[in-house]
Amino acid sequence: MIAGPSRGRRYVLLLLLLCGFSIILFRLVTLQVLQAAELTAKADRQHQKTVSFEGARGMVSDRHGKVLAMNVEVPSVFGVPTSLESPSTVARHLSPVLQIRSNELEKKLRQDKSFVWLARKIEPEQGRRLEQLSLDGIGVVMEGRRFYPKGPLLAHVLGFSGMDGQGLEGLERRYDSHLHGEKRVTVLQRDALGRTVFPKGLAEQAPTPGHALTLTVDEVIQYIAEKELEEAVTHTRAKSGTIIVMEPSSGAILAMAVSPRFDPNVIAALTPDRWRNRALTDTYEPGSTMKAMVAAAALEEKVMTPDSMVFGENGQMVIASTTIHDHDRLGWMTFSEAIQKSSNIVAAKTGMALGEQKLYHYLQAFGFGQRTEIDLPGEVNGLLKTPKDWGRRSLASISMGQEIGVTPLQMVSAVATLANGGVMMKPYVVSEVRDQKGRLLKEVRSQVKRRIVSPDTARTMTTILEGVVTNGTGTKAAIPGFRVAGKTGTAQKIDPRTGAYSSTQFVGSFVGYVPAESPRLAMIVIVDEPQGEAWGGVVAAPVFRRVGEQVLNYLGVSRDDTVKIALAMRDH
Amino acid sequence: MKTVTIMAGVLLVFVFVWERVDVVRLGYQIERLKTQKILLERERDQLQVKFSALTAPERIAKVATEKLGLVPPQQGQVLMVHLPGEAPSLSLPPVEQVRLARQESIGRERE
Repeated sequence: MIAGPSRGRRYVLLLLLLCGFSIILFRLVTLQVLQAAELTAKADRQHQKTVSFEGARGMVSDRHGKVLAMNVEVPSVFGVPTSLESPSTVARHLSPVLQIRSNELEKKLRQDKSFVWLARKIEPEQGRRLEQLSLDGIGVVMEGRRFYPKGPLLAHVLGFSGMDGQGLEGLERRYDSHLHGEKRVTVLQRDALGRTVFPKGLAEQAPTPGHALTLTVDEVIQYIAEKELEEAVTHTRAKSGTIIVMEPSSGAILAMAVSPRFDPNVIAALTPDRWRNRALTDTYEPGSTMKAMVAAAALEEKVMTPDSMVFGENGQMVIASTTIHDHDRLGWMTFSEAIQKSSNIVAAKTGMALGEQKLYHYLQAFGFGQRTEIDLPGEVNGLLKTPKDWGRRSLASISMGQEIGVTPLQMVSAVATLANGGVMMKPYVVSEVRDQKGRLLKEVRSQVKRRIVSPDTARTMTTILEGVVTNGTGTKAAIPGFRVAGKTGTAQKIDPRTGAYSSTQFVGSFVGYVPAESPRLAMIVIVDEPQGEAWGGVVAAPVFRRVGEQVLNYLGVSRDDTVKIALAMRDH
Repeated sequence: MKTVTIMAGVLLVFVFVWERVDVVRLGYQIERLKTQKILLERERDQLQVKFSALTAPERIAKVATEKLGLVPPQQGQVLMVHLPGEAPSLSLPPVEQVRLARQESIGRERE
């Protein structure tokens, strides 16, 4: 028999065991049932890593596939201030690698945050040096950085994207919805050592890159245009300049150059004034180049024929109490000669013969006062007042290219219409959009806007405009071996201080096409505020010749005499 | 019979364990290869940027004129040769044609 005290001890032991098991049971229930969700999440946080991936921004290339903009993965550096023991020491180590002042870095690292960016999208070499330093509390992640490998080439058209990959200017902005990559969050599994094993759902991990754009622009033609424009702007000490080269039969833009240039890889220190695409955001009074459109309207309406005799009023005529001057004392001449000599008085008379409504109708038809709807952002309408707002002199002024604001793109589109037999094409810069696998998503074909004048009128205008280059004000635009048609323009700018026409600030321009009999290029050259001689025929026409000659050579367009050589060889 | 059953059972356990271990091993291998792929793609992109920068017309013109002493062809120095029976080309190669030609040449390189 067991004695009483021994029995008591048994109960105590049993009680202790019960208590022990109860505690274990309670803990089990707490862990497995009550705190289950919270603990599972905690374990997941340790085992899994959530990473946000963004697909690379799409590539931009020229019409021959030459890369103009693309993304490359580069390192970005971050700090974890809460885990740093000595921010000042870390900052001192980082400073020479990141080329950021030590006190600036220290300030960031002393913030009461668990994450701060120290430098984003740095050079790969800097990233390698940082990894060698292996500083605690400093990490490196890879981010996509936009590179423009050709530097300033086509920068005003391409634009640029921001630090977080969003398109901010130019094509980058206009086509942002196509270019930006898909953003996707992926869960990666980690083992006890923190190594990534493999993600849940392999198919999910690679975010789709953005779409690639193929442009109508040819990088060689663009280079020729930019080089010649820079030279002209420097030589004439002008404020700025613009060249647009267009294919008249399609409206495809082959080159769009703006001076001064900028490098989209380095935009931090630049102002919007520098990256504005003046070819479509700035308006100017075109001056005499407008006479080509007024003459085409007059021929189409049969108000004039090329041989109509017109009187130049000996270089002076009073209209609405103001005197209009010509640069020469011109007398009787044919209408063709008047355009070739760029007579203001005959242009004014032609406008008056057409009348307000018809002139306005044709100017609208040629696309003035409205956007060309090119696929680039920032295009302006220009300024074309309705006839009810015209003054007594407006009809004459507009016919001479005053009291009207046009963009360089509007002007080249209008003249390209004459090159294209009277049919206006819609200008465009993107010809194809493809996905990452190269599948065609969008193909832009040339688009007819409208017929403005008959093929006969366009042919007659070509003959008249050829005369401008052979006998008129644009002789410096002549390209040996080719027939060039074009028109010079010299416009006084309005002085913002006085509100009147300036006697020192001009815009010299030349707009034309070549070869005149079968135009391959329509081109406008604008030199804004050249110093010294400012005539379009002096400052812009030679640039047209130099660009035209090189581009025709590059395209392999035969010169008049070359064809003869080939034919002669064939005869033998 | 009993021994065979036990042995089969043990074998099954071994196969199961081996399969689990192999899955983990392959997981690491996949991860390594993926990292390698990413690094190679990154290198390819960096090389492409470099290539594009080096083939920029501005740079080529500079090297041609300043280093090699070449000059742009002057008037009359460029002659287009048209073979008998071939009409002089007066049109730009269409974008599509150029693209197809490029694809063909890339295809040939791969072969």
